[in-house]
Amino acid sequence: MSEHSLGEFEELVLLLVAANNKEAYGVLILENLEEKLGKKVNVSAVHVALKRMENKGFVESSYGGITNERGGRRKKYYSITSLGKKVLDQQYEVRTSIYQQIPKISFGQ
Amino acid sequence: MKAQPPKRALQFLRWFCREDYLEEFEGDLIELFEKHFEASPKKARRKFFWGVMRSLRPGFTKAFYKVNYSITTAMFKNNLKVAWRNALRQPFFTFLNTSGLAIGMAGALIITLFLHDELSFDKMFADANRIYRVNIDNRTAGETNHFAAVSSPLANVMQSDFPQAEMITRLKVSNSILLKAVDAEQNVKEDYVAGADSTFFEMFGLKLLYGNSKNALQKPNSIVLTKTAALKHFDLDKALGQSMVLNNDEIYVVTGVMDDLPKNSFLRNHQVFISLSSFEDAKSLAWNTWSFPTFVKLSPTANEENLQVYLSTVKDRYLIPWAMTFMPGLTVESAKEMEKSSGDFMRFTPIALTDIHLHSPNIEDELSTNSDIQNVYILAAVGLFLIILACVNFMNLSTARSLKRAKEVGVRKTLGSSRSGLIKQFLTESTLVAFVALVLAIVIAAISLPYFNQLAGKAISIPLGNPLFWLALLGVSLVLGFGSGSYPAFLMSRFAPIKGMKGGDIKGNGGRTVINSLVVVQFAISLFLMLGTFVVFQQLNFIQNKDLGYQKDQVLIIDDVDATGKQIEAFKNQVKTIAQVENASLSSYLPTPSPRSATTLFPDKSLGSENALIIGSWDVDYDYLSTLGLELVAGRDFNREFATDSSAMILNESTAVLLGLSPEEAIGMRFTDDFHREDKENMRYFTVIGVVKNFHFETLRNSIDALSLTLGGKPKKMLVKLNAGDFSKGISELETVWKKFAPSQPFSYYFMDDSFNNTYDAEQRLGKIFVIFTSLSIFIACLGLFGLAAFNAEKRAKEISIRKVLGASIGQITYKLSIDFLKLVGLATIVSLPLAGYFMNRWLQDFSYRIEIPWWVYVLTAFMAVVISILTVSFQSTKAAMSSPIKALKQE
Repeated sequence: MSEHSLGEFEELVLLLVAANNKEAYGVLILENLEEKLGKKVNVSAVHVALKRMENKGFVESSYGGITNERGGRRKKYYSITSLGKKVLDQQYEVRTSIYQQIPKISFGQ
Repeated sequence: MKAQPPKRALQFLRWFCREDYLEEFEGDLIELFEKHFEASPKKARRKFFWGVMRSLRPGFTKAFYKVNYSITTAMFKNNLKVAWRNALRQPFFTFLNTSGLAIGMAGALIITLFLHDELSFDKMFADANRIYRVNIDNRTAGETNHFAAVSSPLANVMQSDFPQAEMITRLKVSNSILLKAVDAEQNVKEDYVAGADSTFFEMFGLKLLYGNSKNALQKPNSIVLTKTAALKHFDLDKALGQSMVLNNDEIYVVTGVMDDLPKNSFLRNHQVFISLSSFEDAKSLAWNTWSFPTFVKLSPTANEENLQVYLSTVKDRYLIPWAMTFMPGLTVESAKEMEKSSGDFMRFTPIALTDIHLHSPNIEDELSTNSDIQNVYILAAVGLFLIILACVNFMNLSTARSLKRAKEVGVRKTLGSSRSGLIKQFLTESTLVAFVALVLAIVIAAISLPYFNQLAGKAISIPLGNPLFWLALLGVSLVLGFGSGSYPAFLMSRFAPIKGMKGGDIKGNGGRTVINSLVVVQFAISLFLMLGTFVVFQQLNFIQNKDLGYQKDQVLIIDDVDATGKQIEAFKNQVKTIAQVENASLSSYLPTPSPRSATTLFPDKSLGSENALIIGSWDVDYDYLSTLGLELVAGRDFNREFATDSSAMILNESTAVLLGLSPEEAIGMRFTDDFHREDKENMRYFTVIGVVKNFHFETLRNSIDALSLTLGGKPKKMLVKLNAGDFSKGISELETVWKKFAPSQPFSYYFMDDSFNNTYDAEQRLGKIFVIFTSLSIFIACLGLFGLAAFNAEKRAKEISIRKVLGASIGQITYKLSIDFLKLVGLATIVSLPLAGYFMNRWLQDFSYRIEIPWWVYVLTAFMAVVISILTVSFQSTKAAMSSPIKALKQE
């Protein structure tokens, strides 16, 4: 499954795309990320992740209509593909299965 | 007012970012910018900038080739399409525009090829840049002449004490010869024959097709033929070693066959080379006969100055000591003293081989006729004029046309076209036209080149196989397209869009002024050329009808009469009995081109060098003066009844002037040319019996030199004066007599006036070339004027219609439309004619006998310009004036 590898940052972006399916675009994802992570992220990092995943076929994109915002530039909306969803599910499965193997650990309080 | 993101950063992003990502990235960045802007504009800008910089990564940039081309290519394609559609929409203008430019380019192309040929002369010879010829500049009695041939011993002297000379070769201009293979019947006449030293081939890097170039010209009676000459007698491979008869007299052996000589060389016509050792005078030690063009190849380290310095010593070291042997009292010092007091001189000067063709006009004893750098300049100017005219035309028509497209420009600007985009579009259009014109020009040039070659006496071809030629052409048409397209392009792209949209036309703009001044330039150039043409023809006419002092009409010249051998007198007497023959004379010398010879004479008993008289010397016979109608101003003609006339001499007026005597005083003077002999008391003397009125025997570029006529010599030509009767009958009878006396000789003859006219061949050619290119330039100027008038009439159609409706007559409207252009032509006349007059006067200075430019030539030129422009403009004006007013008024 190496060709379907998903980096940590990419996974986060993909999750956000899936969460805001068909409504996700650069700035929205950025703001959500910054909110969740609590740190500043550069928008081009988001672009890089999006474009990489688009190439891998995890997300697809389409233009929205022209509005008065953004100097008249259209937004590009991203949605998750079935492959993207599968990869995300697998990733989630791997993580939960490992997570469940963790014995109860108690940290003395 | 919304916050604007930093412009530079945005531009940069657009430049590098791939298109399919661009809108998204830009949008995101701008959205973020707008959001941040509320808080801190400064920070927002910084963030935007960083956002752009962070996007600059390999995955996001355009493919490398696309960085420069993608948009440009697309726009270029679009521009081309628009240009093409525009061209088709106004086919008439397009035609005028393109054909005007094409004709101008074709003309300039032909001129360029011609000039290239002229400038390439003699450069093909090996080491041409190191080869020099020694000339003689001589001034006697205020008259300076230049000679291409020098004394025979000079070559030997240089060989021995000028070590910087790598090689020295002498040539000798020979008269025409008759040549045949030993066993052949018929002689072939060769007009271009030269004697040459054995080093000749090595000197010029010429290879022989057959034979050994090292020794082909070593032995006496050796002859080398060019391919053309050899084929007249033998198969090429069999020619070597064959014996040939020269002038029905001597036997020569063919020792070599060479390729024909290049057309752009000083030896272009020469067909036969004879070993110089065959000529008696090649061994002569005399310094006073100048008949050997002498070439020197300098060693690579030497330069012209070395040669110059060396040559300036030759006279004192060799020539004067030689003259001292027979001129008592002469010393180097006295000779110098004399030169100083009289202002006369005689010196050897070097001329570079490659300068011979263009930089030594009016030189005597030249191997082939030379051209003149002045003609090169004149033609270059004409070519330049043509191109300027064509460009001006092109510019004018494009500007006029583009003014009509103001609406289009307005719309384009509104839709966001940048100024540079518009400029590019207009430049694309003009360059497209320039390229189409280029193709047309090559076609036109290719078609007309054969005619031009005939006219100019050249063999020029278009170097289609030369990549450099194409490169130059492409470059030129690019420059032309850009140059002439730039004005309309910059003018049009400057408009405020609203102006163009509203009016559809721009008034009071710079466009008109520029168009008007260009029309003035065009007509000024055309007028200049027109006046030039008139003057050249006036001068030619003047020369051809000038009283030359002899009668050239109805005089037939028969060549090679020496072929009749000892029967030459009998032949002459027989010729005189023909009914159509008025008179006949035997001589080698003619007032029209023929060999010349000069001699040094001393007056009786005064051998002091200050009395030396170097003058032309012609051998003639008793009937010479009467045949040519030469008039005597004093004394008498040669007469058979005076036995002493064998030592009589007739001088011309110039000689009397040179001697400082009146013609009457000159009669009875005695001169000798026999001063070399030891026993001075037995010297041969000539007694002057008559002085003949000056007649022109040089071209009218020169004044009349001193000349002496004596009886005797070995005449080679016969002058036959025919009476007004039937020429062709006379000629056929002459031929019959000729066949009787010289059965194996070709009967070759020509009329003297033809030969005379040939002397002015260069001027005639120049005149014809002038006419052609002047007509071309006028035609181009008219094309432009025609187009402008049409454009003007179209633009003012509404105004014309209203005027008509209000009662203006056709005449009034035509006048109104034409007068503007006529004013421009008038202005051009005022500017151009004085300038043209000045330059043509300078051209005329070259002729000793010349016209003053008469006032009516100026008037005629101006008048013709006005008439031509009226014709051109009024056609359009009348057409506009006669059209129905309703047509123009209806459309809105």
